[in-house]
Amino acid sequence: MAVQDIPIEHGSGWNVAGACIEPLHNLTVAANEVVLTIDLPYVNQQRVKLRCPSNDVLEIYGETTRKITFKDLGAKHRHGEFTCYHARIRMPVPVDESRISTRFKRGVLEVHLPRLK
Amino acid sequence: MIMLERFSEKGGFRIVETATVPKKAVMINGLPDVGLVGLLAASHIISSLKLEEVGSLESDVLPPMIVLHGGLPKSPVRIFAGRSLVVLISETAIPVSLLRPLAYDLVEWAQSKSIELVLSLGGMAVANRQDIEAPKVFAAISEKRLESALNGAAEILEEGYIVGAYGLILRRCAQTSVPAITLLTQSYYNHPDPVAAAASLTAVNKILKLNVDVSELLGRGEEIRLRSKDMMNRTQEELAKMNKSHEYDLPPLYG
Repeated sequence: MAVQDIPIEHGSGWNVAGACIEPLHNLTVAANEVVLTIDLPYVNQQRVKLRCPSNDVLEIYGETTRKITFKDLGAKHRHGEFTCYHARIRMPVPVDESRISTRFKRGVLEVHLPRLK
Repeated sequence: MIMLERFSEKGGFRIVETATVPKKAVMINGLPDVGLVGLLAASHIISSLKLEEVGSLESDVLPPMIVLHGGLPKSPVRIFAGRSLVVLISETAIPVSLLRPLAYDLVEWAQSKSIELVLSLGGMAVANRQDIEAPKVFAAISEKRLESALNGAAEILEEGYIVGAYGLILRRCAQTSVPAITLLTQSYYNHPDPVAAAASLTAVNKILKLNVDVSELLGRGEEIRLRSKDMMNRTQEELAKMNKSHEYDLPPLYG
């Protein structure tokens, strides 16, 4: 499934139809850039995609290394599973998508987005 | 069975004891905070040492919710005890408006139990957390003589701000002569941080001469982070309300 085809369903952070979960993220605005960290436990580092549909939105899609169910997380009363992370994150300032840099360490993706001058 | 119910005079919390709470114990606080460091560390202490549930905190102004454990309804804010320890955890983010009554009622209760040390575990958000292999632990203390009790497990915080329940608990302990240490471990701000929790617990081991194994916290890190995601999300909403970012500020006065 392409990133743009995934319906956005916020609230609980689970998108049952897309088998996706919205990851936790933290956003910091510095003088020259926006720094975003995204927590992606169990993600397959090789299967993470980023794109900017506009200069104030970053979209992330990442596949997990295995299927994860609610039961795996201790919730027997709910049914559902996910195999990917997906989020569309609004930037507080316009960013230059052509100069995005990333690094991935211990399951946390750090994204540096230079601000548009 | 309820053994003892203490009603707060300030309309804050009722502390309900359902089993005997040891006197002269060390009280460990694991409330939801930055990186959920304290909650993860305290929960690990409870499960590792197989502590017994001995009470709960109730309040008419807490969100109307219970948590099910072993099929039984529980308060999300509970007290466990054993091996001369009393451990408080909350499985819900405490609303900002309740933090002051919580601090006052807890310290008053600690006094009634002749608690020898209140040890609060929290996180200290750092921007470069990804670059830190071994998070450092800092300590704020209620009285100078406690510096030696740290056994080199943490570096003293001499200046700065502590925003939230732990700051209020520490101040109240200082006012009422209850010995207290707040351990703040470098962590992510709103990502659950089991590595920081393990570092915090290693410091607790050193201070209290315990031997709680932290390998499970590290080995099950990904699972813990995913399980704690929703809790972290709700905690983050309260952290924003209490202006937690104030902790980054430098205190304006100098000595």
